[in-house]
Amino acid sequence: MNAITFDRRTLLLGGLAFALAPGARAAALPGESIYHLSATLVDQNGQRFELASRRGQPLLASMFYTSCQMVCPMIIETIHATLKALPRADAAAMRVLLVSFDPARDTVPVLAQTAAARGCDARWTLARADEPTARAIAAVLGIQYRRLDSGEFNHSSVIELIDGEGRIAAKTAKLGAVDAPFLKAIRRAREAAA
Amino acid sequence: MKKILSRGVGAVVLALGVAAPLLAAAASKSTPAEPAALPVVHATLSSPPHVPPPTGRKQPAKVIVELEVVEKVMPISEGVSYTFWTFGGTVPGSFIRVRQGDTVEFHLKNHPRSKMPHNIDLHGVTGPGGGAASSFTAPGHESQFTFKALNEGIYVYHCATAPVGMHVANGMYGLILVEPPEGLPKVDHEYYVMQGDFYTTGKYREKGLQPFDMDKAIDERPTYVLFNGAEGALTGDKAMSAKVGETVRLYVGNGGPNLVSSFHVIGAIFDQVRFEGGTAVQKNVQTTLIPAGGAAIVTFTARVPGSYVLVDHSIFRAFNKGALAILKVDGQEDKRIYSGKELDAVYLGDRSQPNLESVSVATQAAAAGTLTVQDQVNAGKSLFAGTCSVCHQADGAGLPGVFPPLAKSDFLAADVARAMRAVLHGLNGKVTVNGHEYDSVMPPMTQLNDDEVANILTYVLNSWGNPGGRVASDDVKKQRAIAPAPAKPAH
Amino acid sequence: MRRLHALGRATALAVALAAATMAATMAAATSASTAVAYRTVEVGRFESVLPQGNVPTASAPVDVAPFALREAPVTVAEFAAFVAAHPEWRRDRVPVVFAERRRYLSDWRAPLVPDAPPHSPVVNVSWYAARAYCASEGARLPTWLEWEAAAAADETRRDARADPAWRARILAWYERPTPDPLPDVGGAPNAWGVRDLHGLVWEWVDDFNALFIAGDSRTQGDPDLLRFCGAGAINIVDRDSYAVLMRIALLSSLDAADGTPNLGFRCAKSL
Repeated sequence: MNAITFDRRTLLLGGLAFALAPGARAAALPGESIYHLSATLVDQNGQRFELASRRGQPLLASMFYTSCQMVCPMIIETIHATLKALPRADAAAMRVLLVSFDPARDTVPVLAQTAAARGCDARWTLARADEPTARAIAAVLGIQYRRLDSGEFNHSSVIELIDGEGRIAAKTAKLGAVDAPFLKAIRRAREAAA
Repeated sequence: MKKILSRGVGAVVLALGVAAPLLAAAASKSTPAEPAALPVVHATLSSPPHVPPPTGRKQPAKVIVELEVVEKVMPISEGVSYTFWTFGGTVPGSFIRVRQGDTVEFHLKNHPRSKMPHNIDLHGVTGPGGGAASSFTAPGHESQFTFKALNEGIYVYHCATAPVGMHVANGMYGLILVEPPEGLPKVDHEYYVMQGDFYTTGKYREKGLQPFDMDKAIDERPTYVLFNGAEGALTGDKAMSAKVGETVRLYVGNGGPNLVSSFHVIGAIFDQVRFEGGTAVQKNVQTTLIPAGGAAIVTFTARVPGSYVLVDHSIFRAFNKGALAILKVDGQEDKRIYSGKELDAVYLGDRSQPNLESVSVATQAAAAGTLTVQDQVNAGKSLFAGTCSVCHQADGAGLPGVFPPLAKSDFLAADVARAMRAVLHGLNGKVTVNGHEYDSVMPPMTQLNDDEVANILTYVLNSWGNPGGRVASDDVKKQRAIAPAPAKPAH
Repeated sequence: MRRLHALGRATALAVALAAATMAATMAAATSASTAVAYRTVEVGRFESVLPQGNVPTASAPVDVAPFALREAPVTVAEFAAFVAAHPEWRRDRVPVVFAERRRYLSDWRAPLVPDAPPHSPVVNVSWYAARAYCASEGARLPTWLEWEAAAAADETRRDARADPAWRARILAWYERPTPDPLPDVGGAPNAWGVRDLHGLVWEWVDDFNALFIAGDSRTQGDPDLLRFCGAGAINIVDRDSYAVLMRIALLSSLDAADGTPNLGFRCAKSL
C-alpha cells in the first residue's frame, strides 16, 4: 500500500515539476491570453463557469448592464447584426459572452429575462461575477466602467473578438452597423479554429 | 491515475510568455488599405531656430515621424531655471516638415523619466482632437497614429493632456509645415521662431528654479514672454544671421497659452506675410498679428546691415518680459536706404518731444560762457530719454547679451574719448563691458550736434555709479574730426 | 517493488525539504506583512472631484465607508519577498497579459533581485501584480474614492483641499522629473497617519479603469454618446482641482498590464 501511495505522489509531483504532459491540452496558453485570468462567473441559467472554459473557439465579448438605456441595447443589436452577416456555418459556431458589471442588480433571473427579451439564443452567455472579478475582466478586455452613486454606469462600449486561445484578435467601437474589417477578422479567426 | 495526472498538470500552467509589441489601445486592428508603392521616408526633424530642408518631393510619401517628450530643467533667463515639458528636448519642439498629400505615421514617445502622461494635437491633422485622442501616452510608453496631411500650411502642434493650459505653458508646442505640392519658393535662409508666455511664482528674473504658477496663468499675467523658450535664446551669439541682399523666411508661431502676438521686426518691413499661416499673402506689412495657437510665415529681403530686433510690439513684453530676438545682417551699408538715423522712429511710442526747456537753458548758458555741469546733466538727461534709452534703457542697465550697460561701465570709464566716437560714428563688433561680451551694432547718432553729445555724455558720466566728470563741446568736435574706423566684418 | 519504494522515499524527502523551505519563506512573508501598519480612515461624506451623480458637472457628495489604508506604499523589499513566495509573479514567468514584458520589474537586476534601495517604493508593477500582492496581505487595492479621500488631508487637516498651498505643493511635485533612485518611503504622516500619498510615486487604485478621461480634456462638453455610455467621458466637477485631475490623467493613460518608473501602490482593507 505504501509503495502505491508514494508512486501516486511521485507522479503527481512529477506532473507539477514538469508543467507539460501528454493527454492534457495540446499547447500552452499564449502569454497574452485572457484565459490566464482566474474568473468564476454565473450565466443566465444559473450555471457556474470559469472564464477559461471558453477557450477553444472564437468568441465575441463585451461588457454591459441590463439597466443601460441606450448603448448596451445597441451593443446587443450590433452583435446580432454581425452574426447575421456571417456565413451560416460561422454564425452557428460563434459564441457570445456578455459580462455585467452590475452584479447587484443583474441577478440570474434578470439576466435570463434580458436574454429572452433581446432574442439571445443558446450561443449567448449573459453572465455576472462579483465586483472584483468584473473589474479584472474589464481590465483584461481593456474596457472602462464607473458606477455612479445613482446606480447608473459610465462605460466604454466596444465589441471584442477573442480567438480560440484567448487573444484579443480585433475590437470594434462601431455600433449600429456591421464593421466590415471586424467581420473579416471574425472569419479569419473561425478559419484558424476550424 | 490519468485523472490525477491531468489534475496535476491542470494545476500548473506554464506561461510561454511571448513578448508581444504593445500598440496603443486606440489603434483598431483594421488598417486602411495603403495606396500601392508609397515610398517610405523618415522625417528629418530640426531643433529651433533651424528648419529642416525642403522635402524636394514631387509625389506623396509615407512619412514616419518620431517625436519624444522629455521633461527637463533648463534656463529660462540668466540664473533662472524652469522645468519645461518639451517635444524633442527643446522649446518650441522640433520642427516637422512634410508635403501635402503625405501619409504621416506619427510615433509619440514619452520618456520613462517623465512624471506626466502627454499627447499631441497637430493643427494640421483632420481628425478627432487633431490626433490627441489617439496619442495619450504614459511615461515610458509610445503611441502611434496615422493621418493624411490634407491641407498645406504652417500649423501649430501642442500637448492636449488635461489640464491643457499647464502643458502648453510649460513649453509643449511646436510647428509642423505642410508644403504645397510644388514646394515653397527658394529663399536664402529659413528660421523657426515661436513665441510663448510663461508663468512663474517668482518675479521676472528672480533667481533660482521657478515653479509654474497656475493662478497667474488663469489670470493671464505672464512673468515672461519669450521667443524660443528663454531670454537670450536668439540674441548674442545665438542670434539668427543673414547677409545683405539675402532673402529670409521666418516661420513664426505663437504657442500661447494666452497671449496674442503683435509680431514686428524693428528695421524691417515684411515683403510678404502669409498671415495666420493661410494661403493668402499680405504685402508690405510692419506688424502682423499671430493668434495664440497660430502661426505666420513672413518673408523679407535684408537690405541694410545691422541688428534687427524681433519683438512682440505689445512693447512692455519686449523690454520687461523678454520678448526679443535678434537677426544680424552683415554686409555693405547702403546709405540710400538707411543713412544711419535713429533705429526706429515709430518705436518711440508716445514719447513726445524732449523737454526743450533744459536744453535751451544749457544752450543759452553755453553761449554766455556760464555752462555748469548741472546744466549739462539736465540737458543731457532730456536728450538721453527717447534716444539712448531706447537701447541702453532709462536706467542705463542695457539689455543683457544685447545692448551693453552704461551704468557703472568700465568700458566708458576707461576711455571717454572712445565713448564720444561711439556716439558720433557708431560702434561695431565685439566689446567687453563689465565682464560681459557684446556683439551688436550701434548706429552713428548723426542727428546730434556737438553740444548735445557733450551734454548726453556728461549726464551719463554723472549717473548710475559712473565716475563723474564732464565732456566739453570742443572735445566732441575733435573726436568728430577723426575719421571713423571701417566697419569690421563680423563673423 | 523494493527499488520503487526507496526511490519514492528519496523523492518524498526532497519534496518535503522544498516544501519546508517554501513554508518558511511564506511564514516570513506573512509575519512581515502582519507587521505592516494600516491606518483607519473615516471620511464620512465626501465631495469627489469626479462627478458621482448623474449630472456630470455638478458635485454630488457620497458616503465613503470607513476603511483601513496602508501607512506607506509597498516597498521594494516587501515586493521582492512576495515574488520569491509567489514565483508565478516573477518577471520571467508572469504572462504578458498580466504584466507588460518591457516594463514589469524591468529595473531589477534579476527576476528575484531588485536594484533599487529596499525601502524605496516598488515601481514598474502592473495593476494585476499590485492586486495579487494586496491579496497576499489579506487586503485589496484602494478604490479611487478611498484614495482621493485619504489624500485630501495634509499634516494637520483631514480636508486641506481648499488651501491653495496644498494644491501648489502637489503641483510642484508634478513638475519635477522622477529621481533615480527613488527616495525611501516614510514621509511625514498626514492627519490620518498615512504617509507619502503625495510627493513620492503615483499609485494604482482598484478601479483605475473607471477614471477614463477623453485623453483630450477639451471634449468635456461634447460627449460622443455612443462611445461612452452615460453622459460622455469624465467631466471634472471642480476645475480648480487640477492637482487631482493630473493624477486621474496619469491613471487613465494606463492599461492594467502597464507600469511606469514612477507608479507604485499601497493596499487597503474594508472595515
